[in-house]
Amino acid sequence: MNREFGTMTYFNKMRGVTKSPPQVSLAEMLWSWIGAFVGMTPLAYINYNYLIESDLVLIIGSFGASAVLIYGAIRSPLAQPRNLIGGHVISALIGVATYQLFPDALWIAAPVAVATAIAAMHATKTLHPPGGASALIAVIGSDKIHALGYLYAIIPVGLGAFIMLVVALIVNNIPNSRRYPEFWI
Amino acid sequence: MVKKTLTPQCPVDISEDDVLQAMKAINGFLDITPADFKEVYIFAYQQAMDRLSKSIVAKKIMIQDVVSVQKEDSLLHAAELMADHGISGLPVLNSLKNVVGILSEKDFFFEMGESKKQSFMRVIVKCLKNKGCTAISLRNQTVGDIMTSPPVTVREDTSVFEIANIFDEKKINRVPVVDKSSKLSGIVTRSDIVLSYCMRIT
Repeated sequence: MNREFGTMTYFNKMRGVTKSPPQVSLAEMLWSWIGAFVGMTPLAYINYNYLIESDLVLIIGSFGASAVLIYGAIRSPLAQPRNLIGGHVISALIGVATYQLFPDALWIAAPVAVATAIAAMHATKTLHPPGGASALIAVIGSDKIHALGYLYAIIPVGLGAFIMLVVALIVNNIPNSRRYPEFWI
Repeated sequence: MVKKTLTPQCPVDISEDDVLQAMKAINGFLDITPADFKEVYIFAYQQAMDRLSKSIVAKKIMIQDVVSVQKEDSLLHAAELMADHGISGLPVLNSLKNVVGILSEKDFFFEMGESKKQSFMRVIVKCLKNKGCTAISLRNQTVGDIMTSPPVTVREDTSVFEIANIFDEKKINRVPVVDKSSKLSGIVTRSDIVLSYCMRIT
């Protein structure tokens, strides 16, 4: 039995149906901090001490978002290794491709890149929110990033994600209350 | 009284595959792994069981139309009542409607069986050993002669949790519920408990 579409039904959907999940423990907060600090340090260190003069970068905005997931929400399906690596690399490739398709119309390239990255991550079961950022960054650049072309998908994206993953595997499993990952495949 | 954890009568045998199937049926991305969902489900289920078993009280689940007898009634009358209503036990009341005893099948078996153990099969054993098969000796006795007394009773505000513990410890199948003035107000049987665990109480 279908209800007739009416304005009230549509806006009613925006009301919200439940509560937000409970606050995490102090231990969780602490280990999230430690994981993110240890994970981001190698990327920042290498980037700022070795890569500034070069054509390469290792630290991009999307890694801050990944840190939230793989150190702060480690049981989420979005934070698992498959999603981290798969989501970033697939989105990076899509981002670069979209930029090269519309290099003079970034106002089109940006939304197309992000939207297509999301759809592709859904299709490959690699949904990872920072992937959307990786795709967007490929379009909005810096010039250094635009110049990388498809290498962007390996450095910084693939390599950075990999380094963060290794740290996550080591640090997340130290406390008794935590384990990582939930699944590989 | 030793309080045990109650095992739910309804199985919590949910598998990760059940969860996966359920997730497939729901449109949209659910940000939880099947394993985590199962873990939450089991905790939440236990939580609900504890909450309900402690909050549902005798008054909510008891039967109020109670068939009863008095001490002076004949055992024939009591047996006919039990047979007609398809029940296995009766509270015994005095003229003030206080519960003075319980009469159940076990009391009959105790009188009829060999070695004074309370089961139907003990009665059959006695029969088959040719030691007498009848309840003739009971013809001249009254309810008061063979009933169990004093009876175990509960109050209207006794929780299902406690009642289940009582059934377990005293090995009984029914318990009369009395009100604040000690008068019979209802009866709770084992099957009422099972129904409440399956959360059919609204």
